[in-house]
Amino acid sequence: MQNIKKTVWRHKRRIYFLVGLTLLLGLAIIVQAFLMTRIVDGVFLKNLSFSAVTSPILALFIILLIRALTDYMSKRIGVSIASDVKRDVRKDLLTKYAQQPVQLAEKGQTGKKVSMLLDGVDEMDSFYSQFIPQVMQSTFVPLLVMIVIFTQHINSGIILLVSAPFIPIFMIVIGIQTQKKSEEKLEKLASFSGAFLDTLQGLVTLKLFGRTKKQKDELEQSSLGFRDTTMDILKVAFTQSFALELISMISIGIVALELAIQLIIYESISFFTAFVILILVPEFFTSLKELGTTFHNGRSSMGAAKKVLQEFDEQDDSIQWGKNEMAQEEVPPTIQLNHLSFTYPTSDFKLHNMDATFLPKQKIAIVGASGSGKTTLLHLLAGMITPDEGAINVQQQDLVTFTEASWLNQLSYISQHPYIFSGTIGENIAMGTTAAVDEKAIREAAEKAGIAPLIESLENQYQTKIGEAGRGLSSGEKQRVSIARAFLKKPTIVLLDEPTRGLDLATEKILQQSIEQLNETATVITVAHRLHTIKTADQILFLENGQLQAVGTHSTLFDTLPAYREMVTIQRGGKQA
Amino acid sequence: MSALQKVIKLMLIEKKDIVIAICLGFIAGISSVGLFAASGYLISKAALIPPFYALIVLTSTVKLLGFVKAGAKYGERLYSHRATFTILSNLRVTFFEKLEPLVPHVFHKYRSGDLLGRVVGDVESLQNFFLRVFYPPIVLLLVFVSTIFFVSFYSLAIAVILLLGFLLTTIVIPALFSLRQVKINGRVRQERGDLSTEITEVMYGFRDLKLFQQLDTKQNQLLSQSETYINEQKQENINKVYSQSFNGFITFIVSWFVLAIGAYLVVNGTLEGIFLAMLVMISLTVFEPAAPMAVFPIYIQESRDASNRLYDVVDEPDIQPSETNISINHLPDVPPGLAFSDIRFTYKGEWRTTIPNLSLLLPAGSKTAIVGASGSGKSTLLQLILKMQQVEAGQVYWDQHDTLTVSGSAIWEQTKVVLQENHFFYGTIRDNLLLADPGLQDDQMNAVLASVQLENFSLDTRVSENGENLSGGEKQRLAIARALLKKGHLWLLDEPTSSLDAQTEQSIYQQIFNQADQDTLLLVSHRLQGLEQMDQIIVMNHGEIIESGSYQELMELEGYFYQMKTLEESLL
Repeated sequence: MQNIKKTVWRHKRRIYFLVGLTLLLGLAIIVQAFLMTRIVDGVFLKNLSFSAVTSPILALFIILLIRALTDYMSKRIGVSIASDVKRDVRKDLLTKYAQQPVQLAEKGQTGKKVSMLLDGVDEMDSFYSQFIPQVMQSTFVPLLVMIVIFTQHINSGIILLVSAPFIPIFMIVIGIQTQKKSEEKLEKLASFSGAFLDTLQGLVTLKLFGRTKKQKDELEQSSLGFRDTTMDILKVAFTQSFALELISMISIGIVALELAIQLIIYESISFFTAFVILILVPEFFTSLKELGTTFHNGRSSMGAAKKVLQEFDEQDDSIQWGKNEMAQEEVPPTIQLNHLSFTYPTSDFKLHNMDATFLPKQKIAIVGASGSGKTTLLHLLAGMITPDEGAINVQQQDLVTFTEASWLNQLSYISQHPYIFSGTIGENIAMGTTAAVDEKAIREAAEKAGIAPLIESLENQYQTKIGEAGRGLSSGEKQRVSIARAFLKKPTIVLLDEPTRGLDLATEKILQQSIEQLNETATVITVAHRLHTIKTADQILFLENGQLQAVGTHSTLFDTLPAYREMVTIQRGGKQA
Repeated sequence: MSALQKVIKLMLIEKKDIVIAICLGFIAGISSVGLFAASGYLISKAALIPPFYALIVLTSTVKLLGFVKAGAKYGERLYSHRATFTILSNLRVTFFEKLEPLVPHVFHKYRSGDLLGRVVGDVESLQNFFLRVFYPPIVLLLVFVSTIFFVSFYSLAIAVILLLGFLLTTIVIPALFSLRQVKINGRVRQERGDLSTEITEVMYGFRDLKLFQQLDTKQNQLLSQSETYINEQKQENINKVYSQSFNGFITFIVSWFVLAIGAYLVVNGTLEGIFLAMLVMISLTVFEPAAPMAVFPIYIQESRDASNRLYDVVDEPDIQPSETNISINHLPDVPPGLAFSDIRFTYKGEWRTTIPNLSLLLPAGSKTAIVGASGSGKSTLLQLILKMQQVEAGQVYWDQHDTLTVSGSAIWEQTKVVLQENHFFYGTIRDNLLLADPGLQDDQMNAVLASVQLENFSLDTRVSENGENLSGGEKQRLAIARALLKKGHLWLLDEPTSSLDAQTEQSIYQQIFNQADQDTLLLVSHRLQGLEQMDQIIVMNHGEIIESGSYQELMELEGYFYQMKTLEESLL
C-alpha cells in the first residue's frame, strides 16, 4: 500500500481500456482537422458547390460525436478508479488506526486524524479521476498530432519538436516544488482543524477567562496562514501555466509565420496543408497545457496521497498478543504480578518491580496519593500497555501469550470518564457486551446499577437519546451507565478507577452496593480513595511514587505503616500531625 | 436574507480584487479570440499572396495578442484566487465570532465533530462559489457580447448561431443539469458531515470502544458510511463529467454549424471566402471559457448547501441567547454580594424543572457551601451566576444589579471559577496557565504550581488535547492553579477537589481560603468534612433549599445534613 503507483496498477484492465479510448480520441481530432480543412478549402479556393461538401460535413458531425463520447468515457473511468482507490485507502487507514494501542491512539490530536481520514483521502481523488486520464491524453494525442504534422510539413514538425520538450521540463521542475508545498498545505489544514476543535471545546473556559478575543486572533492567523500556503502553491501553478502559455503562443506564431512564408514566397505548400496544420497545432498545445492545469492538482493530490500512505509507515509498537485462548471459566482466574515494572517513554515516572497475587473473587484496593502509579497499574492489568520487565500472569501464564479478545472477554473496566456515545441509553448499556442482548437484560443491568428509576422516569425511557460524550448525563449517572454495562457483561474481573469520584452520598451508596454485587462473581480491582472500599478489601496495595510499599489488609497496614495511618487519619477528618 | 446572500455580502469586502480579476479575465478571453481570428485570417490571406507588409502586421498582431493573453490570464488567476482565499478566511473567523456567544447551548444541538466539519469542509467548498459561480459568468458575458458584435460585421447568420450557442451552453444546458443535480442535492455534503462526526466520536471513545471490543463493529459502521459517501461523490462526479462532455459536444456542434452555414454562404456569395477560416477559428476558441459553465449548477448547489449548513448553526433559533438590555459592562473590583430572588429554572429539553422556586442571599465576603444529592441543582446556581444559563422567572443580583443588565464578560472578569470538567488546551502547562493572565511571570506560575502540589510539573510539560495525559486529580489541581492566578473577588468552585485524596484536598483548601480571605466564595461540595469554617451551608434537594445554617447549627438541628454526615462517616 506504500506506493502510489501500485494503487494504480491494481486497476490494470481499466487502464488499458483508457489507453484505447485515448488513441481513438487522438484519431478523431486528426480526422476532424482534415475534414474541416477540406470544407473550407473546397468552398474558399476550389469554388466547389455546396452539395460537393455535404458528405464531409456529415462525416464531421459523426467525428465530433465520437470525440465527445471518448472524452466522456475516459473521464468516467477515471472517476470510478478514484472511488475504488479511496475506498481501499480509507479502509486500510481506519484499520491501522483501530489497531493502535490505546496509549498511542490518545497521543495525536483527534482533529488531525479526522482530517487525514476525510480530507487526506478525498484529496487523493483528483490524482486518479483527472490526472491519470489527462496524462494519457497529453501523451498520446500530441504524439499522434506530431506524427501527422511531420507527414504534412516537416518544418512545422521540427518547430514543434524543438519547443515541445520545454513543457515537460517546466512541469518537472515546478511540479517538485508544488508537491513539497502541498504537503505543507495539508499539514497546515490539519493543524488548523486541530486548533479549531480544541478551541471549540474549550470555549466555555476561554469565555470565563476573557480570552475569546485572543483565540479569535489566533484562529484568524492560523486561517490566514493556511491561505498563504495555498496561494504559494497556486502561484507556482500559475507561473507554470503562464510559461506554458507563452511557449505555445510563440510556437503557434512561428508556425503560422512559417506557413505564410512557405505559402507566399516559396509556394511550396498548399492552403490545405497550411490550414490542417493551423488547426492541429493548437490541439497539440492544448493537450499539453491541460496537463499543466491538472498537473498541479495531480501533484498536490499526490502529495496528499504520500502523506496518507506515510501514515502506514509510522512505527507503532502495538501490543503483541499471543494465540492462546484463555479458558473461559465461571471462577475468576488467579492473577499474579511478577516483578512488574513499567516506564512511560516520555516521562521519568516508573512503576517498580511489583509482586502480588490476586485470588479469585478477592477485593483488591490500590491505594496511594495521586501520581503514585495507581492508574498505570490498572492500565497494565487491562492490557492497554505492556510491562517493560516482569509479567502479569493469568492462569500461570504470561498475559501476552493469550489473545487480546479472550482477555477482554473476562474484563470490565469502569474508568473515571466512561465514554457515552451518542445513541439511546439502552444502546449505551448494551455496548458492555459483544453478545446480543434483549431489552429485559438491559433493564436488569440498569436495575442492578441503580440507574433504572432515573431512566424509567424519562419520557422515552431506554430509548432516550444521549449526546456526544454523554452530554445531558451527570458524571454520577455516566458512572452508573458504565456499571450497568458491567452487569450486562458478567465479567470475572472488574477494574475500577476511582469509582466514587465526585458523587453525592446517596449515589455513592448505590454504587457500593452494585460493586459488591459484582464482587460476588468477579475479582474486583479498585483504585480507591474511599475508606469503606479500602477497609473491606481483602488486599490493599499501597503505592508511593511508583513503589509498592506494602500489601496487606487494613488492620495490618494501619498498625505497621505510618504513611498509611496518616492517610487514613486525614480521611477521617483529623488534621495532619 | 438567504445564507448565500450573506456569503456574498461578506465576499464583497474584497471588492478591489474582484474587479481586477474580472477585468483581467475579459482581456484574456478577448485576446485569445482575437489571436485565433487573426491567425485564421493570416493563413487565408497568405493563400491569396498579399503584399508582405500586411503579413508582417498580422503576424505581429498574433504574437502581441499571445503575450497579452498569457499575462492577463496569469493576473486573473492570481487576483481571483487571492480574493477567494481571503474570503474563506473571513468566513471562518466570522463563523467563529457568531458561534462564540452560542456556547455552551450550541453543544446541546450539534456535536463538535459536526461543527468542525462545517467550518473546515463547508467553508472550503465555498471557494468554488467565487471561483466558479460568481465571476466567470460576468467575464463570459463580456467576451461573448464583444465577439458576437465583431462577427456581426461579417455575417449576421453566423453571429446568430454564436448567440444561440452561447445561450445553449451557458443557460439552457446548465439549467437542465441543475434539475438533475437537485436529486443529488447536498447529499454529498451531508454524508461528509455525518462521516466526520462519526469518525470524531470513535476517536474520542477509542479506549472504551477497544476495551468493550466494540471497535470492529464501529469500524464496519464507519466503512459502510464511507462507502455511501464515496458513492454519492462518485455519482456527483459522473454527473459533472457527463455535463462537461455534453456541453463540449454542443460547442463542437456550434462550430460545425458555423462551418456548414459559412460554407453555404460562401458558395452563395453572401460571405467572402477569405473570412471563413477566421470565423471557424473564432467559433472554436470563443467557447473555450464556456466549458466550466457545464459544472456551474453543481457548484451553485454546493455553495448553497454549504452556506445553508453554516448559517443553520449560527441562526438556529433554539440556541440564541435572549436579547436583553446590557447596561453594565464593568463591575467594581471588590467582593460582591449575590442574591437569588424567587428564581425558577428548567434546562432546555429537560423533563423536569430543575429549580422550582429558590431564594438565597450570599453577603459580600461570605463563604458559602452548597451540599446535596447529584441533580439537586447545585451546579445550576453557579451556571446562573455565570450567565451560562438564564432564569425563567425571578432575578439573580450582583450587588444591586440584576445580572440581566450586566454583560457576561464583566461577571467573568470578576470571578475565579473551577468547574467539574475543566478544559485544557493542546500545548504546554504554561500556555494553559497564561490563560488566567497573559502578563504572568514564570516564577509566579511555578509558585502556584507548588502550592497545589504540582511542583513535579515544569511549565514546559506538554498537555495533550483535552488534557488526556493528565490524571483527574492533576487536572483539578491545574484548574485550581489557574483560578488562583486569575483576578477577581468571587470564587465559584464546583466540586473542585473530588478527584483528590483527602490529604491533598485539605492542603489545597487551605491555600484557597488563605487567598480568598476577603472574597465572596461559593463552594459546591460532595464531601461534608472541612465545612466547619464556612459561614453558611445550604442543603439542597430537588432544586429546593431544605436546610441552611452554619455547620454547628445544622449538626444541632439533627436534620438532613446531620443524616448525610452520619452516612458519610459510616462509609469511612
